[in-house]
Amino acid sequence: MGTMHTTSPSSRQDDFWPDFLRGVKTSLPLLIAFIPFGLLLGSQAVQKGFSIVEVPLLTGLNFAGGSEFAAVGLWSIPPAILLLAGVTFLINSRHILMGAALAPHLRHLRRWQIFLLLFCMCDEVWALTLTDLHTKPGRRFSMGFYAGITVCLYLCWVSFTFIGGYSGNILGDLTRYGVDMAFPAVFIMLLKGMWKGARNALPWCVSLGVAVLVYHLLPGAWYVPAGTLAGILTSLLVVRSI
Amino acid sequence: MTLHIPALLAILTMALVTYLTRISGYLLLAGRHLSPRMKAIMDIVPGCVLVAVIAPNFATGHPADLLGLAATLLAATRFSLLPTMLCGVITTGVLRAVLG
Repeated sequence: MGTMHTTSPSSRQDDFWPDFLRGVKTSLPLLIAFIPFGLLLGSQAVQKGFSIVEVPLLTGLNFAGGSEFAAVGLWSIPPAILLLAGVTFLINSRHILMGAALAPHLRHLRRWQIFLLLFCMCDEVWALTLTDLHTKPGRRFSMGFYAGITVCLYLCWVSFTFIGGYSGNILGDLTRYGVDMAFPAVFIMLLKGMWKGARNALPWCVSLGVAVLVYHLLPGAWYVPAGTLAGILTSLLVVRSI
Repeated sequence: MTLHIPALLAILTMALVTYLTRISGYLLLAGRHLSPRMKAIMDIVPGCVLVAVIAPNFATGHPADLLGLAATLLAATRFSLLPTMLCGVITTGVLRAVLG
């Protein structure tokens, strides 16, 4: 607070590091989910034929956990590239909507910044960012906050998938002890941050219901786009009736 | 410490597909003006996505997992992230040990 800044760009730069630390702090609890899942993915990948270098290459370049678990499950030598690409698209098609939801908040940024930050837009990064934008009316997208969450989660994910691949299955079957519940718990908390009253309830319930149904009926990851689409159609009706 | 070319190609293809999904939503909407109705819908959509991703957890037939999920939901209404996760993990772990 020692110096005075009159222009808004410089004051925004001053906010970078405090916001960065705030982002790191916000994302720390998520490591409870990231660390065991990272170790699990790494050890499974090596068992499936990934080499030690290929594990962090996958998790670092792709950085989308759901599609990485699917890829490990479908992995073969040589890998079926078209199948992997198709399943990756199916699981990650939700990013299209996520990017669209974030787009209006990015107008003040440079193009290269936007293309860089979108590279790291996983579910958790995206949801924490949107929740932060909505907690204070008029709050602008903060590069520092986004970077803080991203650096913390990205480094953790890439390094722990590598450690998991290197060390093999050191944790044993953690799911026996309920650690896998950390994943839906994170998502439920993210949903809580997006809750804006009963208007959300119907589309969300329809999305969940259809996704559960499709999960039972169809193999693969169709339940994600199917549920989402049903939820969107419902929200069209809900929003029309207000 | 080896890198196989087919594996590398598969990983690069996946990375490219994922990156395209990440930028295309932005590219579609960048610079476009959203109507209030569209904005209201875009507020609801993110939750639809997240809830669909965790649908398999709701689709399970194991009583211990369903009860653990219920405990997580209940905890989420009262606590912040860290206690909620601990609540969910511990409850699920205990229930699995008890109910098998």
